[in-house]
Amino acid sequence: MIIDIHQISQLLIPIAHAAEEAANTESSGGALATLGVNWKLFIAQLVNFGIILAVLWKFVFIPVAKQLTERTEKIEKSLSDADRITKEKDEFTKWREAEISKTKAQAATIVAAAESEANKAKQQIAEQTKQEQDKIIRQAKDLIESEKQKAVRDIKSEVAEMVTAATEKILRQKLDNKTDKELIKESLKSI
Amino acid sequence: MLAIPPLAAETIFYIGSFPVTNSYINSTIVVIGFIIFAFIINAAIKKYYPLKKAPKGILNFFEGVLEFLLGYIDNVTKDRKKTIRFLPLVGSLFLFILVSNWMGLLPGIGSIGITEMVNGHAEFIPIFRPANTDLNMTLSMAVLAVTASHFLGIVTIGFFKYANKFIKFGDLYQAIKSMKPVNILTAVIEFFVGLIEIVSEVAKMVSLSLRLLGNIFAGEVLLTVLAGLIPFLIPLPFMALELLVGFIQAVVFSMLALVYLTMATAETHGHAETGHDESFAEAEENQTPAV
Repeated sequence: MIIDIHQISQLLIPIAHAAEEAANTESSGGALATLGVNWKLFIAQLVNFGIILAVLWKFVFIPVAKQLTERTEKIEKSLSDADRITKEKDEFTKWREAEISKTKAQAATIVAAAESEANKAKQQIAEQTKQEQDKIIRQAKDLIESEKQKAVRDIKSEVAEMVTAATEKILRQKLDNKTDKELIKESLKSI
Repeated sequence: MLAIPPLAAETIFYIGSFPVTNSYINSTIVVIGFIIFAFIINAAIKKYYPLKKAPKGILNFFEGVLEFLLGYIDNVTKDRKKTIRFLPLVGSLFLFILVSNWMGLLPGIGSIGITEMVNGHAEFIPIFRPANTDLNMTLSMAVLAVTASHFLGIVTIGFFKYANKFIKFGDLYQAIKSMKPVNILTAVIEFFVGLIEIVSEVAKMVSLSLRLLGNIFAGEVLLTVLAGLIPFLIPLPFMALELLVGFIQAVVFSMLALVYLTMATAETHGHAETGHDESFAEAEENQTPAV
């Protein structure tokens, strides 16, 4: 696209006009007037910005910033809490494992003690039983022996009486009293 | 015939003796927009915050914007409490300047207008003109920001300590009491430096307001001239540049206001920082494309 002289002059002429105008206003109203400073507008714009400031301050910035700060604090607290809880959990797990192994060891010693105790008791009982058995057997033997002797004695005396009676019956008629007694004694001796 | 916008905003009509200019119309539209925005945000706040629900939609977006702003302000203040204190002013400046700058790029701003007879020839007067192409607007914001910095300075560090930054009778008295000639000489020089600081406070307002006005007005003129020469396609990259300029100027204005606020509420003397911050502003401006 070619921009010819005419176009450029069209562009430059209004700039020149504007500059001329600006120079005119400057000579009449000073630099501030050239820049358009006007105390009424200044106050009005100040009020406009003041409204924005007040509205954003009250309804936007402070509540949101407060919320953000609270949230940051909450998150930091949660993170530190989580750390603490993990640490406590680890400690608890360690403690629990230590406790379990301790309990296991204790249980093992208790079982061992009980076993040895039981063995001892068993042996004792067995010994006692054997002793009692022996005693009973001995007593029984003794009893049998004495019974036997008594029976023998009884049988002897009974046999003697029976023999005496029989002999008396047979000899009654033939012998007198004197010979009878001597005969009995004789027979008794021979038994 | 090309219509180059004049430096002063044009009056469209009068309410009583109050001249309603095209820039004032634009800034009022932005004000109404912000009021509506505040209502929407406030409604969303009432909807989401008491329920401890995660915010959605516009509130979520705005929280993102605010988080970004808070991060930037934190970089300067190094103190969350101060950040929250300065946020409303700095954030309002940033949002207002950004929105009104970008609004100036909408079609119709600067092109819809009326034709009036001025000095015997017909002149085109646009009804809408970007708010920041009016020195009244930029100057009122600059005055407000600098005044707020002085006010906060006095509130934070006390009137006499604050006054001693400018009229250094206190330092001078201390130096004379110490009876050392070198100290007295330094204090006298410092005293005059303090007086110069007063001038620099005025310079702050002038530089803040003229920087913003100059950048946005120049952009408006450039776009008008380009659109007058070649209306299609060619102005597009320049409009993209104007988007960038609008954002950069919003950042520069609000950042400088923030720096003034921070310096005024700092306990120590801030000559060195002043120089540094001005150079920061210069650097920012150098990054701005020449328009």
